[in-house]
Amino acid sequence: MSDSRGDGIAAGAASTDGDSTEGKSADPTEGKSGNSTETESADAPTDREHRREVATDRWVGIAGAALALVGLGVLVRQPSLVLAGAVGVGYGVYARTGEAPTPTLAVTRSVSDESPAPGDEVRVTVRAENVGGTALPDLRLVDGVPPGLAVVDGPARVATALRPGTAVTFEYAVRAARGDHDWEPLTAITRDAAGARERTSALDAPTAIACTPELSAGGDLPLRGLTTLHHGRVPTDVGGAGVEFHATREYRRGDPLKRIDWNRRARTGELSTVELREERSATVVLLVDSRDSAYVAADPDAETAVEASVAAAGQAFSALLDGGDRVGIAALSPLDCWLPPGSGTVHAARGRETLATDPALAPTPSDDRFYRSLWLRRFRRRLPADAQVLFFTPLVDDTAATLARRIDAHGHLVTVLSPDPTTSETVGQRLATFERRQRLRTLRSAGIRAVEWGDDSFPVAVAAATRRWSR
Amino acid sequence: MSGGQGGDGATGEAAREEATGETAREEATGDDAGVAAAGDDVPVDDFHETDARPPTVAVVASLAAAGVAATAALVASPVGGALLGAAALAFLGGSLRNSTRVLTWGAAVGVVGLAVAGYRGAPAEALLVAVVGLTVAWNVADHGVGLGEQVGRGARVRRNVAVHGGASLLVGAVAAGLVYGVSLAVGGGQPVAALALLLAGGIALISALR
Repeated sequence: MSDSRGDGIAAGAASTDGDSTEGKSADPTEGKSGNSTETESADAPTDREHRREVATDRWVGIAGAALALVGLGVLVRQPSLVLAGAVGVGYGVYARTGEAPTPTLAVTRSVSDESPAPGDEVRVTVRAENVGGTALPDLRLVDGVPPGLAVVDGPARVATALRPGTAVTFEYAVRAARGDHDWEPLTAITRDAAGARERTSALDAPTAIACTPELSAGGDLPLRGLTTLHHGRVPTDVGGAGVEFHATREYRRGDPLKRIDWNRRARTGELSTVELREERSATVVLLVDSRDSAYVAADPDAETAVEASVAAAGQAFSALLDGGDRVGIAALSPLDCWLPPGSGTVHAARGRETLATDPALAPTPSDDRFYRSLWLRRFRRRLPADAQVLFFTPLVDDTAATLARRIDAHGHLVTVLSPDPTTSETVGQRLATFERRQRLRTLRSAGIRAVEWGDDSFPVAVAAATRRWSR
Repeated sequence: MSGGQGGDGATGEAAREEATGETAREEATGDDAGVAAAGDDVPVDDFHETDARPPTVAVVASLAAAGVAATAALVASPVGGALLGAAALAFLGGSLRNSTRVLTWGAAVGVVGLAVAGYRGAPAEALLVAVVGLTVAWNVADHGVGLGEQVGRGARVRRNVAVHGGASLLVGAVAAGLVYGVSLAVGGGQPVAALALLLAGGIALISALR
């Protein structure tokens, strides 16, 4: 039968016929290890919010059909038809007598891991016990799985019937994704035995998991030439102390002896000084496009461009921080997200936290509206004058490209890093691919560096792109 | 935007169509046992939570009840039996297409089948079995479509369907037993109009009590 898989999942229910109820004494979470957590005690009924009660109109017409049979029976003088019609009338009465029961349930939800790593499967066990006095002949439970988590095993739903004192347990698995996730209320739908009336309620059993990815350092990320005055690792066009040759100039009094070009002195008799390329640190702001339109993916199960951007931003963040640059984080999003550029271990922890759990970078889009000019004004006010911007965007609309050019025009050198969410199966998809490529071309011709990466990883793409770049 | 979501819709639709086609083929070729087996190999690889088809157990129970009804009517009248068979097919089709409208049409055809069987002089016992069978079949199939919409095919529903189908079978059995007992008690020789008037009296009494 179709529900055999569900039975296999619900190992906790442990009943031999594989069906859903169990005695009051059996506790499904008993055998589990200490890391599973109960959300609330079992016996108090869970807070219930009434949503709606409707007639399902399933039985409309039964009385008419029954009386038609009776009438026909009278006309053709067949008593058996009258009897059959009488049974139909009996069903009509049955359909009219019930009232959708109010579910009084104690709901507990436990998760196998409250702080999983991204990609881990988290098993969720939901137990609902009928602690009210009435039997629930038809109860359907739909768990409020957080929108950012995908159910990967066993539907988060069950349909059963509960006598007072019995409980139903169902189990499913979600794949953990980056961010804080709160479960929404469990939806309980009850019907009377005939199914003529239906009542929907929401049962609030709060559960939350927090999934914070480790930041892995990506490869060396070349920055553009806008730097601070502090010593660092970005080579500049300023001559001074360093390791790489930059230029020679006339000797001035006070130049260190070891920087004098003795070969030239021997050849021509003139004193000259070798200038080396100064290496300075930069201030970088990682800007992640997380507007509604950036939540795109090549196929329904793939990670969205925002996820790819955030992962790449995480790699860039730790790589730049390790290189001694000051790094900040901002989101191109209706919600406000701003981590001012900084350095040090505390800042690294803060950045990891921001990338993992900031609502503006959540795995699902926010409902608010995005106002471009307001956002740009605020962003420019916050951006330090010597900051350059690494802009992570899938470039699926013109707004992102325009913003990149405007920020660049204001003197903050922009590098666009673009995860490629396009595919080429249909004509529309090919058109979108073409438009995006055109945007990239426009950006490059405007002097903005752009890297795109698709299937290959972010560091590989950066390494491949950097070979073409001049300083 | 276009790139991602275009692929989204297209792939999802194709996958769904393929799945439906497959099930339809399997269930159309198999008898009851075959249908039951088909439900077991739900594709686990590409798991999608929202498989809105009715659960197999409901479809099978509905077909079984419809089969009983058709057999009972066939004993009395081939035409009536054939119409009830058509109703059973409509229940299967409605379940596969998630359509309560098809189910309602099936039930209507079944009622016509009952009328024809009764008109051809089917015995009361056979007709009572047929009417209870038809009602249970429609009820379980319709319930299954509702379950498919709300909890999906993959969820655990056996107990729910059993309670719902059992309750409707019980109600039918009690009603049939009652009217059959009454008709025996008042004696077979009474005119049909007297039975109908008795029923009308019963209905009036019930509506007054409510």
